[in-house]
Amino acid sequence: MGRHVGIVGVGQTHHARRRTDVSQAGLVREAVNRALADAKLTMDDIDAVVVATGPVLFAAVNQPEKWVADAIGAHLKPLVRITSGGGTGFAGALGAYYQIASGQHDRVLVVAYDKLSEGALQYSISTLYDPFWGREFAVGIMGFSAAYWRARMDPLGHTEEAAAMVAVKNRKHAMSNPYAHVKKEVTVEEVMSSKELAWPIKLLDVPPISDGAAAVVLSCESKAKESTDRPAWITGMGYFCEADNPPDRNMLLSEPLALAARRVYRAAGITNPRRQFDVVEVQEPYTCFELSYYESLGLCEPGGAAELVASGATSAGGDIPVNLSGGCMGANPIGAVGLIRLIEAATQVMGKSECIQVPNAKCALAQTGGGWANLRGVAVLQA
Amino acid sequence: MKANKVAVVSSAQVELRPRWGGAQHIDLISAVVSSVFKGIGLTLDDVDFIIDSGSDVLDGRSISNCGFLGAMGAHHKEESRVEEDGLWAASYGAVKIASGAADVGLIIAYSKPSESNVNEFYSTQVEPFYQRPVGFEHLAASGIQAQRYLADHALSKEDMAKVVVKRWQDAANNGRVQIDAVPTVEDVLASGDIAKPLTQQMMSRKVDGAVALLLVSEDIARRVSKKPVWITGMGDSIDRHAFSSRASGTLEACERAAAAAYKKAGWTEVKPSVAEVSASSAVTECMVLEALGLAAKGKGAKLAEQNSGTAINLSGGALPADPIMATGLVRLSEAYRQLSTPEIYGLESPTSAVVHGAGGVGMQTHCVFTLEV
Repeated sequence: MGRHVGIVGVGQTHHARRRTDVSQAGLVREAVNRALADAKLTMDDIDAVVVATGPVLFAAVNQPEKWVADAIGAHLKPLVRITSGGGTGFAGALGAYYQIASGQHDRVLVVAYDKLSEGALQYSISTLYDPFWGREFAVGIMGFSAAYWRARMDPLGHTEEAAAMVAVKNRKHAMSNPYAHVKKEVTVEEVMSSKELAWPIKLLDVPPISDGAAAVVLSCESKAKESTDRPAWITGMGYFCEADNPPDRNMLLSEPLALAARRVYRAAGITNPRRQFDVVEVQEPYTCFELSYYESLGLCEPGGAAELVASGATSAGGDIPVNLSGGCMGANPIGAVGLIRLIEAATQVMGKSECIQVPNAKCALAQTGGGWANLRGVAVLQA
Repeated sequence: MKANKVAVVSSAQVELRPRWGGAQHIDLISAVVSSVFKGIGLTLDDVDFIIDSGSDVLDGRSISNCGFLGAMGAHHKEESRVEEDGLWAASYGAVKIASGAADVGLIIAYSKPSESNVNEFYSTQVEPFYQRPVGFEHLAASGIQAQRYLADHALSKEDMAKVVVKRWQDAANNGRVQIDAVPTVEDVLASGDIAKPLTQQMMSRKVDGAVALLLVSEDIARRVSKKPVWITGMGDSIDRHAFSSRASGTLEACERAAAAAYKKAGWTEVKPSVAEVSASSAVTECMVLEALGLAAKGKGAKLAEQNSGTAINLSGGALPADPIMATGLVRLSEAYRQLSTPEIYGLESPTSAVVHGAGGVGMQTHCVFTLEV
């Protein structure tokens, strides 16, 4: 295999529903400044840049990396934009990982963002579907997510109550995240009685819509020590897809996620994820997805997710805490979320989480996803 | 640690046409994905990952790669979308293989600008607050570049028209491009001002098309190919977005990209057998040749016409056929074919190539590969 690659600096914006004080370029600059400062570097030290955003319809600037390049001083450097729906921030980091692992570059800056207040989100997502036969009945991303959840309810026991516990847990965790934009605790009863949007998905099963950016500096081993004594080493990372149309897919298990987990765990030497991971960060666009991820990631047996969340094991203080940052429930700038999950997992093993730090965390799992729930990524980070 | 070597061992391309009316995106993509395996001894099962280039804006579809995963053969494989010209997708694939993480990568680029509004594709790239409201976009940038270049080097519109004619003739002879009639110099000059001094036919012609390449590790290359074409250098660079801040009369980012690629390849002099370059206008075609070090400043037009020493754009290049997002990957495919089957092109034992792709308003960003056999 190639050279070792570590995360040596991270930064994110204070996410908000609407950042009217900055443009997309300004938003990106904020996150980049923080990541560079965290890595004790300047743009002069950066060999190449990867920009990742959600679909450009989200904010109506085509190929926005060409614009934001000026704002971060990236001119005359190698710069590429990688896109992959909701998991794009993670996919961008994966591209940067290979640039370093191959020896092409030593230090790569990855910045991911979305400014969702500037576009029509669910309309933009609806254009994901096939223009000839898919769009008539496609309503954003919520409709089929509800259908998936309903399919998992009876055979796997992913009840509305179990999903409500995910909402309660993540919103509680978000209370201690300085970058979260929604900080309000809720109860299971409040989630259950919140407005139905696409049953069984209810208002409090749904994350906010945010403006926000995140950035990381990835480094080769020899230069990592200039930034930190304790990088988060990427010991496995992959991003897999599923091509089938939703009616043909396995609705009980995310096959691309299970595949990604199997490959990445093998690379990182993970044989017992429940015991080996100290902390987990997942991208949960709706609460029901987090339950499904537990099973596809092997944190519990299929059908064990409801019991796992109810046991408190995935809450702060549990043996396999999931989303101590609050996950998407605290902030959801879609294009940045995959990279934020990596940041939150990385800072845990670097021992400098600004959220709830797991004492002596050494091994973290980050999960991401996008598209129509068919793009799935997994990374393992180790101290 | 030394990076693993990476080779191109196969390529496939549909004919580039102004309009592929009877085919959807998935049809063009499927066509190249099924033919790229022909005669190579590899199948889709051997492919470790797929990197693709395309544009949500041209496709009229968010995360458009999602809709084409089946056609790309990506099911249950690793896949990522690079939303730049396809040469950047090849660059991603090459570093992934060079890292040792994979052995076989399928690289795909496609576009159907006939279904979209190309002017809007470019104008929506422009910074929205100061530049977009005054109507500054790709044609304006191209016209300004052209005025500067012609004035600096005492060149005429006729000189540029000759470059266009040469390219269309080469495309008709060697390219896989639909050419109904090769224009004359008079035709080019009479085709109507589009961004003075550029006429319509001095801009690249937008076409529909798709292209696929197989990149493989050294071990696989030795097994499946008698004549692998090695990627020995890669570089890319983005210029300032603010057009007025860019160096005038030159393509600085192209120079940087080329310097990086040549350094990786260990080239101390630039004398490739073959060059396949992208350009959005006849003028930038000349400027690219100069930025790549193939011609002295102001001498690009002469080189473009003569093909002396280095065979320049035998395929016709991007002027007669510019499938936006796929243009640079078509150049890689053409250079691969010229190095691996030189007899088709009447080339004698070519040993090396420079490949160039670009993107953005006024060619803001550039990517350069060196190939060797």
